[in-house]
Amino acid sequence: MNWAGAVFGASAATALVGAVCAVGLKSIFHNILGFALAMLGVAGVFLSLGSDFLAVVFVLVYVGAVAIAMVYAVMLSVPLDQPARPRSRTKVAGAALFAAIGAAAIWLVVRSAAWPPATGRLDVAAAWAGYRFLRDYVLAFELISVLLVVAMMGAVMVARRSRASAEER
Amino acid sequence: MTGTVLAALAAQAAPLLACALILIFLRGRPRVAAGTAIAALTVSFAAAAFLVWQVAVPNTASVSQTLWLPVQGGAGLAFGVILDPLAVTMALVVAAITLAVMVYSTGYMRGDPGFARYFGFLALFGWAMLGLVLASNLLQLLVFWELVGLASFLLIGFWFEREAPAAAARKAFLMTRVGDVGFLLGVLLLIRALGVATIPDVLAAATSSAPGFTVPLVAFLLLMGVVGKSAQGPLFTWLPDAMEGPTPVSALLHSATMVAAGVFLVARLHPLFAAAPGVMQGLLWLALVTALASATMAMVANDIKRVLAYSSISQLSYMLMALAAGSVAAGFFHLTTHAGFKALLFLSSGIFIHHAHSNDMREIAGHEPLSQKAGVIGLVAGSLALAGVIPFAGYFSKEMVLGAMGERVGGVVLALAYLGAGLTAYYTFRMVFLTLRGQTPRRQEARDIAPAAHVAGHEEHFSAAAHAAMAWPVLALAALTLVLGYLGGFFATRLSPALPHEGPFHVGGGALVALALVAAGIALAWYEFGRAGALRLGFAERVPALKSFFGDNWYLDRLYKATVIRWTLALSRAAKWNDHTVLDGASDGVAQGTVWGGRILSMVQNGFVQAYVAVAISVVAALGIWLTRTGGLP
Amino acid sequence: MSPALYLGFATLLFGVGLYGLLQRRSLVAMLISLELMLAAVSVNVVALTTLTGHDASMGQVVALILVGVAAAETAIGLSLFVAIHRASHSIDVETLSELKG
Repeated sequence: MNWAGAVFGASAATALVGAVCAVGLKSIFHNILGFALAMLGVAGVFLSLGSDFLAVVFVLVYVGAVAIAMVYAVMLSVPLDQPARPRSRTKVAGAALFAAIGAAAIWLVVRSAAWPPATGRLDVAAAWAGYRFLRDYVLAFELISVLLVVAMMGAVMVARRSRASAEER
Repeated sequence: MTGTVLAALAAQAAPLLACALILIFLRGRPRVAAGTAIAALTVSFAAAAFLVWQVAVPNTASVSQTLWLPVQGGAGLAFGVILDPLAVTMALVVAAITLAVMVYSTGYMRGDPGFARYFGFLALFGWAMLGLVLASNLLQLLVFWELVGLASFLLIGFWFEREAPAAAARKAFLMTRVGDVGFLLGVLLLIRALGVATIPDVLAAATSSAPGFTVPLVAFLLLMGVVGKSAQGPLFTWLPDAMEGPTPVSALLHSATMVAAGVFLVARLHPLFAAAPGVMQGLLWLALVTALASATMAMVANDIKRVLAYSSISQLSYMLMALAAGSVAAGFFHLTTHAGFKALLFLSSGIFIHHAHSNDMREIAGHEPLSQKAGVIGLVAGSLALAGVIPFAGYFSKEMVLGAMGERVGGVVLALAYLGAGLTAYYTFRMVFLTLRGQTPRRQEARDIAPAAHVAGHEEHFSAAAHAAMAWPVLALAALTLVLGYLGGFFATRLSPALPHEGPFHVGGGALVALALVAAGIALAWYEFGRAGALRLGFAERVPALKSFFGDNWYLDRLYKATVIRWTLALSRAAKWNDHTVLDGASDGVAQGTVWGGRILSMVQNGFVQAYVAVAISVVAALGIWLTRTGGLP
Repeated sequence: MSPALYLGFATLLFGVGLYGLLQRRSLVAMLISLELMLAAVSVNVVALTTLTGHDASMGQVVALILVGVAAAETAIGLSLFVAIHRASHSIDVETLSELKG
C-alpha cells in the first residue's frame, strides 16, 4: 500500500470517528469538536487525492472559521447549565432507519452507475484550478462572492436585535 | 323628412325628455316637475292635433322609417312612425287624456311626497303609449307595449310603501306578462314566417298568404297579449286590483293607455286577425262572456273605483266584440268615446274620493257629495255617456258597435250584447244614485266620527287652486262627451270597412231596443237605489250566493289561488328543495370533501422539520432506486 | 486506487450526517450534520474527477464553490439560530412547530 492509501485510511477513519462524535455526543461543545475532527479527516482525504489546496481550504474554513462561529453562536444562546432531555428511542430508531435508507439508496446508485474507468490519480495544481476559476467559471466565482456578501449582511440583519424588541426589553 | 314625421317624432320625444329630466334632475322640485310634464304633453297634444289635421282629415296613410340594424336576408330592424288615421287619432286621444290627467293630478296629488316622481312616471306612460300608437314596426310596437306595462306597474304601485298597491302592481305586471309571452311569441313567429316586421307589409303578407296554420296561430298568440293587456276573459282580475293606484292613474290606465293598448293592437292589425276567422269567433265569445261577467261584478261592488273598473272591462269587451265582428270603425270609435267618458268618470270620482277620503260609495254619500259641483257634473255626464243615453257620446259609439254586430253576427250573441247594454245602464245608475243620493243615517255617523282636525288637515292641503286644477279637466271632458259622439262619421269613412254612414241620429230598430233596455236599466236602478225610501240594495245583492260570487270576481282569483298559484308554489318549493338539497348538497359535499382532504393532508404538515427531511429523503431514495432499477441513468 | 473506496467513505459520511440531521434536537447539531453531508458530496466530486481523469480541475472548482455555499449557509444558519433563540428561548426543533398545518 502506498502512502496515499495510508493517508486515505487514516484520515477516513479520523473523519468517520469525528462525524460520529459530532452527531452522537450529548454535549454541543463535543459535537463541535467532533465536527472539527471530521473536517480535518476530510482534509486528509483530499490530501490523499492530491488536492492539497482544497485540503488547506477545508482546514481553514471549517476547522478555523465555521467551528469557531458555531462556538460563538452556542455561547451566545444555549443554556449550557440545563440538563438536556433524554433522547427518544423511537426517534433514534427512525432516524437510523431513514439514514440507512438514504445511504443504501446512494450506494445503490453509486454501484449501478457506469463510471468511467479509473485512470489513476491525476494531480491537479492549485494554479490550474485558479486559472479555470477566473476564466471558465468566472461567473460562478463572482456569484459566490455576491452570495457570501449577501449571506453576511443577512446574517447581521437576522441576528441583530430589532429596535422594537430592544425597546421591549 | 316631412312636417308630419317631425311632428310625430316631437310628440314622442317631448314626454321622454320630460320623463328623463324629471326623474334625473327634478325629483326635489315638484312644481317644476309638474310644469315640465304638462309642457311636454302639451307639445305632444299640439303635435298630435297637427297630425290629425294633416293625416286623418285628408285620410292619407304613410310609413316613414329608418333601417337601424340591417340583417342579412331578413327584414332587419327598422324604426319609424306610421301615419294613418287610426294612429294619429289614437295619438291625439292619448295626448289629450294624459294632459287632462296631468292637470287634474296637480290638484289631486298635491302634497304627496312622490309628486315629482309621479309626474315623471306619467310622462313615461305618455311616451310609451304614444310610441306604441305610432310604431311602424312590430318589434318597436312590442318594445313600447312592454314599456306601457312597466309604466302601469310603476303607477299602480306608486304608493309602494303600502302593501296593497305593491301587491296590485305585481299582480298587474305578472298577469299581463302571461299574455305578453304569447304576444312575444306571436311577433317572433310572424317575423319568422313572413320575413317582414313593418306593419303594412305584415298585413299585406298575412292577408295574401295561403290559408294555413301560421296566421291563425299568430293571431291566437297576439290575442293572448291583447287579452292580458285589455283585461279580458281569464286575465281580467288584475284590473280591479289596479284601483290601488292613485285615482288619476286609474283614469289614465282605463281610458287611453294601458287597457286601450290591447284594443288598439287588434284594430292596428285587424286584417291579420280577420284572416283567422276562427280565432276571431273565439275572441267574440270571450269578449261577450267578459262583458256580461264584469257587468254582474259591477252590480254588487261598493267601491266606486271598482265599479268603474268593471265597467271598463265590460266596455273593452264591447270594443273587442265590434272588432271581432269585423268593424274597426265601430270598435275604435267606442274606444275613443270611452276614453273620454271613462277618464271623466274616474276624475270626477276622484273628486268625491278626495272629498270623503273613502272609495266606498256609501261613505261618499255621507259627505255631502252634492257640494262638489264639478264632480257631480262629471259623474252624471260620464254616467249618461257610459249608459248610452242619447245624445251623449256613449250612445253613438255603442250604437255603432251593436249595429256592426247586428250586421255580422246576430242571434244569441247580439241579444246578449243588448242585455249587456241594459246591465251597463243599471249598474252605472246604481253607482250614481248610491253616490249622490245619500240620505242614510250613515251620513250622521260619518260626520260624528270625522274629527275636526281631520277636516282641517284635509282643507289645508286641498286649497282652492287644487280644486280648480281638478275641476277644469273634468268640465272639459264633460263637454267632450257631448261632442265626441258626432265623430262617428269621421271614423266610419276612414277606418275599415268603409261603411255607408247614415248620420248620427239614424235610429234603427236596434237603437230603439237598446234605448228601451237602457231606460229599463235606469228605471230599475232608480227603483232600487234612487227613489226616496229605497232599500238601496240591488236585486243581485239580495241573493247571498250571487253577491259573493259576483263580488269575488266570479271566484276567479280563488280558482287561480287553488290552481295556478298553488302549482307554481309547489314547483317553486320543489325547485327550492332541489336547490337546497341537491345543488347545495353537492357543493357542500365538495366543500366538505375538500375540508376533510385538507385535514388528512395537513397531518403531513406537522411542523417537525426532521419529519419533512425524512419524507424528502425517502422520496429521493425511492427516486434513485426506481431510476437504477429502470435503467433511467444514462 | 479505486474510486469505490472514496465513494464508500463519502456514503458513510453522508449517512452519519443524515442520521444527525434526522435525530438531533439542537439546531446547531443539525447544522453540523448538514456540513458533514456537504463535505461528503465534496469528497465524491473530487474523488471522481481526480481518479477517473475526467476533468480534474473541474472537481476542485465544484468543491470550492461548495465550500463557499456552505460558508454562506453556516453564516445564515447561525444567525437564524441566534434570532430564533432570542424569540422563543429555545433551539429545540421539536418545540418549533408553529407552522403546523
